[in-house]
Amino acid sequence: MKTFRYERPADPAAAVTLVAGTPGARYLAGGTNLVDLMKLGVETPELLVDVSRLPFGEVEETDTGGLRIGAAVRGSRLAAHLLVRERYPALSQALLSGASAQLRNAATIGGNLLQRTRCLYFQDVSKPCNKRRPGSGCPAREGAHRDLAVLGASEHCIATNTSDLAVALAALDATVHLTGPAGVRSLPLTDLYRLPGDEPERDTVLRHGELITSVELPPPPHSARSRAPLMVYRKVRDRASYAFALVSVAAVLDVRDAAVHEVRLAFGGLAARPWRAREAEQALQGRPATEEAFVEAVRTELSACRPLRENGYKLALAERLAVAVLADLAGQG
Amino acid sequence: MGTQMRGTAAPGRTPTSLSRRSRTKGGIGESTLRPDGTLKVIGEFAYSSDLWHEDMLWGFTLRSPHPHARITSIDISKALAQAGVHAVLTHDDLPTAHTQYGLEYTDTPVLADGVVRHHGEPVALVAADHPETARRAAAKIKVDYEPLPVVHDEASALADDAPILHPNRDDHHAGHVPHPNIVHRQPIIRGNAAEAAKRADVIVTGEYEVGMQDQAFLGPESGLAVPAEDGGIDLYIATQWLHSDLRQIAPVLGLPEEKVRMTLSGVGGAFGGREDLSMQIHACLLALRTGKPVKIVYNRFESFFGHVHRHPAKLWYEHGATKDGKITHMKCRIVLDGGAYASSSPAVVGNASSLSVGPYVVDDVEIEALALYTNNPPCGAMRGFGAVQACFAYESQMDKLAEKLGMDPVEFRQKNAMSQGAIMPTGQIVDSPAPVAELLRLIKAMPLPPEKQWETARGAADVRALPGGLSNTTHGEGVVRGVGYAVGIKNVGFSEGFDDYSTARVQLQVIGGEPVATVHTAMAEVGQGGITVNAQIARTELGVTQVVIHPADTQVGSAGSTSASRQTYMTGGAVKNACEAIREKVLETGRRKFGTYHPAWATAELLLEDGKVVTDSDEPLADLVDVLGDEVIDIELQWRHRPTEAFDPVTGQGFGHVQYSFAAHRAVVEVDTELGLVKVIELACAQDVGKALNPLSVKGQIHGATVQGLGLAVMEEIIVAKDAKVCNPSFTDYLIPTILDTPAIPVEVLELADEHAPYGLRGIGEAPTLSSTPAVVAAIRAATGLPLVRVPVRPEHITGT
Ligand SMILES: Cc1cc2nc3c(=O)[nH]c(=O)nc-3n(C[C@H](O)[C@H](O)[C@H](O)COP(=O)(O)OP(=O)(O)OC[C@H]3O[C@@H](n4cnc5c(N)ncnc54)[C@H](O)[C@@H]3O)c2cc1C
Ligand code: SF4
Repeated sequence: MKTFRYERPADPAAAVTLVAGTPGARYLAGGTNLVDLMKLGVETPELLVDVSRLPFGEVEETDTGGLRIGAAVRGSRLAAHLLVRERYPALSQALLSGASAQLRNAATIGGNLLQRTRCLYFQDVSKPCNKRRPGSGCPAREGAHRDLAVLGASEHCIATNTSDLAVALAALDATVHLTGPAGVRSLPLTDLYRLPGDEPERDTVLRHGELITSVELPPPPHSARSRAPLMVYRKVRDRASYAFALVSVAAVLDVRDAAVHEVRLAFGGLAARPWRAREAEQALQGRPATEEAFVEAVRTELSACRPLRENGYKLALAERLAVAVLADLAGQG
Repeated sequence: MGTQMRGTAAPGRTPTSLSRRSRTKGGIGESTLRPDGTLKVIGEFAYSSDLWHEDMLWGFTLRSPHPHARITSIDISKALAQAGVHAVLTHDDLPTAHTQYGLEYTDTPVLADGVVRHHGEPVALVAADHPETARRAAAKIKVDYEPLPVVHDEASALADDAPILHPNRDDHHAGHVPHPNIVHRQPIIRGNAAEAAKRADVIVTGEYEVGMQDQAFLGPESGLAVPAEDGGIDLYIATQWLHSDLRQIAPVLGLPEEKVRMTLSGVGGAFGGREDLSMQIHACLLALRTGKPVKIVYNRFESFFGHVHRHPAKLWYEHGATKDGKITHMKCRIVLDGGAYASSSPAVVGNASSLSVGPYVVDDVEIEALALYTNNPPCGAMRGFGAVQACFAYESQMDKLAEKLGMDPVEFRQKNAMSQGAIMPTGQIVDSPAPVAELLRLIKAMPLPPEKQWETARGAADVRALPGGLSNTTHGEGVVRGVGYAVGIKNVGFSEGFDDYSTARVQLQVIGGEPVATVHTAMAEVGQGGITVNAQIARTELGVTQVVIHPADTQVGSAGSTSASRQTYMTGGAVKNACEAIREKVLETGRRKFGTYHPAWATAELLLEDGKVVTDSDEPLADLVDVLGDEVIDIELQWRHRPTEAFDPVTGQGFGHVQYSFAAHRAVVEVDTELGLVKVIELACAQDVGKALNPLSVKGQIHGATVQGLGLAVMEEIIVAKDAKVCNPSFTDYLIPTILDTPAIPVEVLELADEHAPYGLRGIGEAPTLSSTPAVVAAIRAATGLPLVRVPVRPEHITGT
């Protein structure tokens, strides 16, 4: 590991100043991803600015009946939070399906959103990787890419975003609040992430020094008849727990009079960002909530997939998972 | 001995002992608790990675990023110049002309000698005052590589223009291998397979593939080398076989073996992965060079490069059978990828070949097994040792045959099952119980787990009992159940004429008014429970309660390896043997001291029980304390199993194996066929253990082996890309079963004594790994109707997309 300095500033402004003023600086939250990558030599920050104890540890209801989640809230706490379990169960499910209990106790919401890809080549500094070392090549394309992207990839990088949380937040229309050297701004969560294009080294649109302060959710959608929010998160993985998603789906569905009143659908494991299935959503809006309609809509969305030798199976998985999720939600409504 | 009985190995239902020498508490047949158990569970056990010495340095290994390359230059000056660095060593610094080592062939360079042959091969060593300093200094070593063409499979290894990976072979198989990139090839020809095939009503062929499994022990390679004043070295090390390490280390250091004193340190699992050397020589070299103690601990990433793995294999099989379900013949070809160095590939080939028929009677066979040299990671010993790959293939074939014949797969197996007296394809007669049909009957007779076992009392679904587990993917809709069976055969102990022995030194003396036995062996306790069993044996044989187990080291003779399911048989046998000699001495002393007081000293058969000398009709004659007085009886003896012989290099005939071990599994799985998710809900196992010396340990071994087999069936694989580079060296990316993936494992144990073995016992640690994998895959096939010819089976193989 490279030598680094460590600071724990007392307030957000000081944190931003520290990071913004040091090119090789990084925020440190739970450290479960960053420190791992430092040990592997993938990340070599000069300065770590600990933000885990900044005043972003709250989960609060907003005036509009939504929820604001501080960036330093630990995963296990958010998953167990009563408001989350009652109103946004998909969020709780997504969190609990990720990593292990120990990791969730340490990992924060901000850190979770900014975890780096698990592409096997990205982890190993002895190998080329455009994301880690721009211009060095992408061995995953010819090599092991069973876990990697089928949507929105580029010839330069086929990595996936591996956050379960981000997929659920994408389907819940979350907004990310930031503070940075140029002041505060907010982004829809789906706009936080970038597709690789010819700059695979940039995972997000964050500028150097920008700090995630909180994530905000609009009020949960309710079905006409019950208060139960109709949403779910499901994940397909190689073992029963403690593994990243091969494919995952977060969905919100409100069916009224047998027609789709509101639908939001996001995929994980398919792309460099949580894939909000806008085309499928549009196709379904106002349509009868039938399995055929779901299949058709999901296929439309996935028609843009460009699978490689080893990851074509993800298409079928994504389609089946999404259709099953939507059909289940429709059945419950 | 020789009593035939059976019972499950549940701790509450200890089988009654076979001999009357068992009144002494804590003797054989009891589930005495292991001394390391609680410490390990509460995190207080001291592993080799916890070793510490004042003033010690930390060693670090620079490894090759290339799978095959010529080293054109190495510049260590920048590394040496770094503050805190005490030594940097490359091949040129090795002290003697012995610069290679190896278990079977001496083909592995201590440090790369101008060429690297696999990704992760050690190239240089650094010792520094801090592990991080050592790591950074290593990064400053400048190595220039000229990449060479990579050999990564059979075609590239045996191509006309294939690079010859070991051009100057002088090993004992070099003369009869068909190609220098073949480590060893063992054919077995018996009967006339071509002729017998004519009798077949059905013929079934199949090609199968087994991925590269890792031992995945939790304690990484680690040890501490301390230079001694006499110019020698003390090495504290986690290994499987101290004396085999010693034999390989000493010549490289240029020291006589007595000057390399080794002590076993806490071992965090092994499963074959510690049979080869890892950091042993490296730490010693650095310690001798710097004059300071040197510790090396691999991290998880490095550990994946620091030990051999299970051979990935491609297996082609042909079987024929008559309409009434008798197997007519078998032909097979098994190709194992041995990777860059031989390790134990030759012996693995011998096993794969000689056990390729499985526990069945097939008179006419044509078998070929071989291991390749490639630029893939070296492969060697792992639990099951060559028999695992074969078992997956022949059991898959058995199901195919049964299906083609329209027969029940268990009945079909039973029809062809071997039993005592059967002849192996090697011509060896199986001369102890081989209850294959009975094991199958037992697992089949066990009650099946209830349908829809995931339903809770309130009618909801417990997702933990469903495919996908906590991922919430299904609540039971569309889940298909499948049941599969498999049975396997594993050899016990070292085979093919190897002079396999163990040594035990036992002392008996009075300490604090009580008779105390001290047992000293070099047996590596790697978690198998060997020290517990050794103490039980000493209690049983000597009738004492107090047994001290001396730490394992090289001050006593070799115990052989903790592998091949052999330690309870071999070191247990050696302890028993030494105790018997002690008992003779005790009785001699007793007769001398007290013989005149009681005629029974001369006439009766005498035993040691409960600290006394007693007659065979339980009449006490004297207290051991009085017999011994101040005397210390101290005996060290070697003990051997019966000799075996090498397989004929052409026909494969020979009395090659000491003992066979049999286990059978029934797997019950639920499969979400839409999403390709498998939940193994039960893996019932029946095994003949000969004699359960410690029933709880027996059950533990069966559970562990079963889960390791499940791992191979559905998730475990080291991914090596076509460029021969390892892709997933971490426990985040190399998946092993969690407790949520672990099914219920009901166990039935048979105790049919093998009259050749101590107490009639059978080595048990490996057999259940074999049958677990094919049973799970058979169950998935039954649920899905898919052929599934490769393990691990992953979601994409089930979704068929
Ligand atoms: C074995 C293992 C298995 C895992 N499995 C899963 C899984 O199944 N699903 C899943 O979703 N995740 C999984 N993870 C990833 C895990 O969720 C992340 O490691 C964790 O959420 C990161 O949070 P952290 O607080 O520890 O972040 P850190 O490691 O501290 O930081 C991660 C990154 O975020 C940046 N950062 C942190 N906070 C902020 C902030 N407020 N503003 C701006 N930047 C910030 C850091 O600079 C760093 O670049 C797994 C991880 C491990 C080690
Ligand atoms: S897919 Fe992306 S992260 Fe993976 S090797 Fe290619 S460039 Fe690197």
